[in-house]
Amino acid sequence: MNRLRILAGLAVLAGSWALAQPAAAEDSFTLSIKGKAFEPNELTVPAGQKITLTVKNLNTTPAEFESSDLNREKVVTGGNAITVFIGPLRPGSYEFFDDFSADTPHGRIIAK
Amino acid sequence: MFGKRIAAVAQHARAARTVVAAIALLGTAGALAPARADIKIHYPIIDYREFEFEYNGDTTFDKAGSGKSNNQSNVFELGYAPVWWWEPEIEFETKAEPGHNFAYDATTFENTFQLTEQGKYWADLGFFAEYSHAASKADADEITFGPLVQKQMSNILGLDLGHDTLHTLNVLFTKQIGRNRNDATPLAVAWQSRMQFNQYFQPGVEYYGNITSIAGTSNDEATQHRLGPVLVGQYNMFQLGKIKYEVGYLFGLNQATERGTLRWRLEYEKAF
Repeated sequence: MNRLRILAGLAVLAGSWALAQPAAAEDSFTLSIKGKAFEPNELTVPAGQKITLTVKNLNTTPAEFESSDLNREKVVTGGNAITVFIGPLRPGSYEFFDDFSADTPHGRIIAK
Repeated sequence: MFGKRIAAVAQHARAARTVVAAIALLGTAGALAPARADIKIHYPIIDYREFEFEYNGDTTFDKAGSGKSNNQSNVFELGYAPVWWWEPEIEFETKAEPGHNFAYDATTFENTFQLTEQGKYWADLGFFAEYSHAASKADADEITFGPLVQKQMSNILGLDLGHDTLHTLNVLFTKQIGRNRNDATPLAVAWQSRMQFNQYFQPGVEYYGNITSIAGTSNDEATQHRLGPVLVGQYNMFQLGKIKYEVGYLFGLNQATERGTLRWRLEYEKAF
């Protein structure tokens, strides 16, 4: 039973520590989905630091911001917005797309 | 003549005692053997509004007659995430002990809770809880629960490997409930680290540890440790859905563990 208490205590400590880590100052960017297009289609962001990306869906139907390169996948319902936490990214190009709409041209995040 | 008969009877008695002792020993070993926990990683990130069908399987390899070879498991799962933070799944589990056919083993209600926004904090946290109803009345039902932690890293201790790495840890406790329950609290620890080369190909390494009782009152010799390579990937068909796969080979690290285990996972998911 002591081992259980120790393990449970360690798990709680580790979780608290992970959550208590202060978020570094993050640059914010915005992306919109309008019709069958991302606006802008290409976004340049700083490399080596975390960024927050707000994705607004200006359509009435849901969309899904997805990027295999970034390991992110998030649904944004019609008329709403989501926040995606990304990075720190190494310099390079990262493709994203709307997983609910094959017709929507893919976009790119360029980290410099 | 009479003496020879007595000697023969005594010889048979010794043989019978040996056989009885051997059977008793095997029975004891079987009773003390740990129930095999699922050999798979649970991820804390939920795919909101996605329906998924998942097939997990594994089979073991060891010396013939060891009792540890050809231990097989097939688990079929159906799940859907109605909100971004919760994904319930129903599981249908079949298992085959060495030398036996597959038999239905359990029906499980599995829940994954995503506790933090992906990428917002130092690590992504989730919580796993499942209730497993045994198919056999001789077996006990089980509750399994514990934290899921994931961390995506662009470098490790300052070393840039050229690609991000993804690390996932599961720490799951099990309690048996109802009739035939065992009061021990087994602990299953699973760790996976993989290199994110691209979406199709992500090689990595996995560890699975099964401790039969965290209270140390059970048979510690039955604690199992497995370690080995894994390959993870996915193929996106966009509006037709997505296929994900995992295949790994695990080497047994101690006497209580079989020499090798091949595990695989095939998943189809589609957003609605």
